[in-house]
Amino acid sequence: MDVSTSSKSTLTWFLQRITGLLLVVFLFTHMNINHLSLGERIIDFSLVNSRLAGSFGWKVFYIMFVPACAFHAMNGLWGILIDYRPSAMIRKASLAVLWLIGLALTYIGADTLINLFEA
Amino acid sequence: MSFKGFAGKFVDEAKLNPNVGTFSYILHRITGIGLAIYLIMHTWVLSSAQDGPAKFTERLGSVQTPLFHLLELFLAVAVFFHLLNGVRIVAADFLPLTRRHKELFWVVMALFITVMAWTIVAALPKLLGH
Repeated sequence: MDVSTSSKSTLTWFLQRITGLLLVVFLFTHMNINHLSLGERIIDFSLVNSRLAGSFGWKVFYIMFVPACAFHAMNGLWGILIDYRPSAMIRKASLAVLWLIGLALTYIGADTLINLFEA
Repeated sequence: MSFKGFAGKFVDEAKLNPNVGTFSYILHRITGIGLAIYLIMHTWVLSSAQDGPAKFTERLGSVQTPLFHLLELFLAVAVFFHLLNGVRIVAADFLPLTRRHKELFWVVMALFITVMAWTIVAALPKLLGH
């Protein structure tokens, strides 16, 4: 195996675990505040805005959460894909598509968080 | 890659190595794909804040019907299985626990059942409330 490929996949293997561990904390907190502890309360703009506008910490939390999710999801799909030994062309094309989706998710998520909820 | 090829790989692996490791590997992949698709839909719904608070509340309201609250339980199954099994994978990789991954699987299942019981109890007011 090509050394550069091998060290790159070691890095993505490692990053998948690091982002995974971060997501354990992020996702559990996220599920708790939005699903487990709301009772009958429906989520609407005022609820989300009061959380994000009320605390700088929640914005930082979500701005770290979004790219961790995007990376973990796209890198996970990549890991599944290469298990099926696609041709070099399909590999390159899907890598580009996964990067595009991952960056778009990060951009849209961060833009929404930064600009559309009162600081 | 056809769907048959995709699913066939899982069937082959399950026949070749029918144990909890294979079972959790298959479930981890399927829940992972589901969550990646969900992440895209979730970002789309929430990005409607770009069109103002009213649009955000409207679009978010459209996915908070009793049907969606029920579907959220399946989402919770995927989230918590993937999350807890992921911790098992990281523990097996980073700690000297590789040889104990099968026992760890049953620890994961016990935690999963506990968290799901909590989730179902927490979802009851919404499922029954409107």
